[in-house]
Amino acid sequence: MKASRLGTDDGEKKVGKKEAEKPVSVMNRRFSLWNFWIASLALKLLLMPDYFSTDFDVHRNWLAITNELPLKEWYYEKTSQWTLDYPPFFAYFEWLLSQFVPKIVKEDGALDIVEIGQFGWPTVVFQRLTVIFSEVLLFVVLQVFVNTSSATEKTRSFVVASSIVLSPGFLMIDHIHFQYNGFLFAPLIASIVAAKHKKYMWCATFYAIALCFKHIFLYLAPCYFVFLLRAYVLNFKNFEFKSYKDLIFIVQWKHLFKMASVVLGIFFICFGPFLYDLPQVMTRLFPFSRGLTHAYWAPNFWAIYSFLDKILTFVMLKLPYVHAFATKFISPPLIPESLDDLKERLVQNNSGTKGLVQDVFFAILPQISPKLTFILTMFYQALAVIPLLFDPSFKRFIGSLTLCGLSSYLFGWHVHEKAIMLVIVPFSFLVVCDRRLLSSFMLVAAAGYVSLFPLLYEHQDFLLKCLYTIAWCIIYFYAFRKTSQLTTSVERRVFFLDRLSTIYIFSLLPLVIGVQFFEVMNWKYLSFQKFEFLGLMAYSIYCSLGIISAWIGLSWMYNFDEPLWMTNE
Amino acid sequence: MAPKNKEAKRNTVEESFYASPLYDFLYPFRPAGSQWLTEYVIVLFALIIGCAVGHGSYSGQFSPPMFGDFEAQRHWMEITQHLAPSQWYWFDLEYWGLDYPPLTAYHSYVLGKIGSFIKPEWFELNESRGIETPDLKTFMRFTVLLSEGLFYIPAVVYFTKWLGKHRQKSPIGQFISAAAILFQPSLMLIDHGHFQYNCVMLGLTVYAINSLFEEFYAVAAICFVLSICFKQMALYYAPIFFAYLLSKSLFSPRFNFPRLFAIAVATVLSFAAMYAPLYIFGGGLANVIQSVHRIFPFARGIFEDKVANFWCVTNVFFKYKNIFPQEQLQLYSLIATMLGFLPAVIVIFLYPKKHIICYALATCSMSFYLFSFQVHEKTILVPLLPITLLYTSSNWDVLSMANWINNVGLFTLYPLLKKDGLTLQYFVCFTLSNWLLGNFSFVTPKFLPKFLTPGPSVSSVDINYRRRSFLPSNVIWKIIIVSSYTAMGVLHVVDFVMGPPVSYPDLWVLLNCALGFGCFTLFWLWSYYMLFTMPRKTLQQL
Repeated sequence: MKASRLGTDDGEKKVGKKEAEKPVSVMNRRFSLWNFWIASLALKLLLMPDYFSTDFDVHRNWLAITNELPLKEWYYEKTSQWTLDYPPFFAYFEWLLSQFVPKIVKEDGALDIVEIGQFGWPTVVFQRLTVIFSEVLLFVVLQVFVNTSSATEKTRSFVVASSIVLSPGFLMIDHIHFQYNGFLFAPLIASIVAAKHKKYMWCATFYAIALCFKHIFLYLAPCYFVFLLRAYVLNFKNFEFKSYKDLIFIVQWKHLFKMASVVLGIFFICFGPFLYDLPQVMTRLFPFSRGLTHAYWAPNFWAIYSFLDKILTFVMLKLPYVHAFATKFISPPLIPESLDDLKERLVQNNSGTKGLVQDVFFAILPQISPKLTFILTMFYQALAVIPLLFDPSFKRFIGSLTLCGLSSYLFGWHVHEKAIMLVIVPFSFLVVCDRRLLSSFMLVAAAGYVSLFPLLYEHQDFLLKCLYTIAWCIIYFYAFRKTSQLTTSVERRVFFLDRLSTIYIFSLLPLVIGVQFFEVMNWKYLSFQKFEFLGLMAYSIYCSLGIISAWIGLSWMYNFDEPLWMTNE
Repeated sequence: MAPKNKEAKRNTVEESFYASPLYDFLYPFRPAGSQWLTEYVIVLFALIIGCAVGHGSYSGQFSPPMFGDFEAQRHWMEITQHLAPSQWYWFDLEYWGLDYPPLTAYHSYVLGKIGSFIKPEWFELNESRGIETPDLKTFMRFTVLLSEGLFYIPAVVYFTKWLGKHRQKSPIGQFISAAAILFQPSLMLIDHGHFQYNCVMLGLTVYAINSLFEEFYAVAAICFVLSICFKQMALYYAPIFFAYLLSKSLFSPRFNFPRLFAIAVATVLSFAAMYAPLYIFGGGLANVIQSVHRIFPFARGIFEDKVANFWCVTNVFFKYKNIFPQEQLQLYSLIATMLGFLPAVIVIFLYPKKHIICYALATCSMSFYLFSFQVHEKTILVPLLPITLLYTSSNWDVLSMANWINNVGLFTLYPLLKKDGLTLQYFVCFTLSNWLLGNFSFVTPKFLPKFLTPGPSVSSVDINYRRRSFLPSNVIWKIIIVSSYTAMGVLHVVDFVMGPPVSYPDLWVLLNCALGFGCFTLFWLWSYYMLFTMPRKTLQQL
């Protein structure tokens, strides 16, 4: 199957050219995602017998909980360790799905509340099909996006839409690993589309709905809040400061109440039935007891931080005078007092390198508290959001959305590598606006998708995930290059950095193959086994380098490049 | 309006699969700067689908003591690397004794060496029998993909490029044909699902055809000998290659002794090279003879499992095994086969033209499939190869017939695939390949909103262009094809809903074979008709 390809005749003509010069046939094109759906459906069906993660049992358990128990007990039930920890809308969704469970699947054990699910092929088929068909919503939303975009933008919108629906991220996470991200991203994308059309009420509504489905979207909340506040609620048009009383007239109170009532209404529908159990629901949704880095090393700032810690530990243990030298500048609470102290610390917490980390412990560098990660995230999000206060345009909004996603991904507490979709999806909408953003986007997309590879750790998926990601990258990097808008200031691109990012992307391949070889052969060489965690670490360090540099690149463009943000509508 | 329609019409002539989803997907790569991408993209997706099919089960999974073809291939990797060549064709013949020519053995040897480097337990002598770990499955699946990537895919891409160039097809049209050939569902399901290495044999044959195109006759002979030495089934093509090469060196345009000599030497030497290790390291002639015995098991019956050929289907009425002794049956089948392929050989001998090759190969190999001795259902892949290569044609009738017989061929594989637990993969690949080629374009629902109407999404197909399914222009053929599809559908439904009657446990399979046999015979006659008309045509009218 040929899942992909996008409309890009624009390669032949400059995008700026007049509509009239296009061949007539171009105007006839229907930008339909239908073919993409069919083609990807075939691939997804073929992947049904593939590996699935524990998330499969998690969702099966939720299906059982919502079906068997009264609403009140949903968030208290804990027979299985996979307790319900998504917001109530998702629980309702699971309840809805459970209404369609056929008899044969029920008998298969799909709806049993047990510690570890006992189920067979029928359950797998049923659950996989629910993912496939709930994802239709994503296709619908993106089709609406394509249809509502103006004739000049159609090709570009189509590239964006198809790149999202065929994203290797969704394929790997949803259709192999097992989750409902395709479906969950649909309301989020709907809110982005609404924002594009300046339908702020819809934007708020869809975002609130998305939030009630999956609270990870909370990472994007500051951006939405400021954007809607500035664009919809506040009105600076005829503002003249005479006294503080005038500030009252900035606020469009009618808009404020309308939006607040809708958003609060949605939250009430969502959380209303659990009003008396709200604390319990909240503890389920926000489990702060978990560690800094997730099960694997998400490729964010903390991966580099803990890598640095490893290196320093290694260096100090081997070369004692480094420690002596360092203590001259840094006083003890920030650094172990002596080498013995360091060794003691290591003995106490020797689990840090196994890859499976619950509580990360740093031997030399200062420990990181949730509060610190929160402050850092907030700080960088604030930087991303402030320009939005001055210029609430759609482009700006998308840019700030991407940066919000990136900063929470890079500095957040307990970040999972799946969260990279929160960055890539909004970024896809942004990248078509300017060619110069492309190298940042390519970095994030390539590094982000590659960082998902360890999720599918079984060897049988190796070829598939590599080939699919390569195919996606070839097709869409080409398509974005052809369709993204060329601004006049192209010469301001730093070509050296572009080359560097290309080299970076190409060397992902030897990294992936090398790590795979290492994993396949590690039974043979004992020395390999000792460093089992190295593969995962290599992934996270290398990918985090790419993502951080993309973040820096995007931030630079976002804050200091004017022509990029001038609206030419 | 008028010029637009004209343009659409011109396009239909030019492109093989105009307005199909495949065309739609590949169309955006049309600009000259991006054509090179297309090649990567179609190859990548062919491999991706191969990988995805490979997630299904394989023949004989979890079924001791004999397992299936997967275990056979693994077993050969095991014995070839642990035993001397003198033992290869003698070792424990009851348990999957090697019964393919030496190149298969060498191929197994190389793959076995690689596998043993990764994990020796997979191929431990005797110890590893029936081993079924997920990692082994992954490795074996990988070896098939590797073989396909080395032998089959480059050969097919080269083939389509050569033909495309000489028929002034657009580059994107060439890649569309290549994709259509690479997504042939039968080969995918048998190689990546059931588990075999047919892609090597078929790929080598396509290399031989490519060499004929390029007029490197000795190279063609070598490639074809290698193909035979991988699987003896390639002999189904042998009469055509023989006649073509002979005719080319005898009187086309005149007697050409150096060419004849080169071909003869190349053939003899490559056979010798293939068998030399068996002779030198393997205890002389006895070993070579044993390998030939293993390869041609005349001791077995005229057919084994149910297969859609003449003998198996008519066996319902005449119990051949009771009427005739084995030797006589062999003779009859030989005569029938000879009579079957003789006209094709004569045509190719008289008119050794490039554009006839595919038709000649199709008729000849189909005659073997229909009438020869000891045919397996998987052997349909051999006639299907030249037929599928006809996807490079731009004649709607030819495309329709090729597509039809591909579907019938896949249908006759259904009982086998069902036994292997590949029903899901079967239906998905069946639908996918037909949909990609545009066979389902007729279902375009009218009730959907216009923007959702399935069909061209990114290609610039004229809005008034009427999409068709693959049906030839002739009404009789239309009726035959539609009714055969209907019969297939009915058989699938019946098979799905109820088991066969107790007294005839094989009834559904037999009906499947009968339907397949009928269609194959009709197709065989059609391809003969085409073959006879071909000498008057040119490459442009393929």
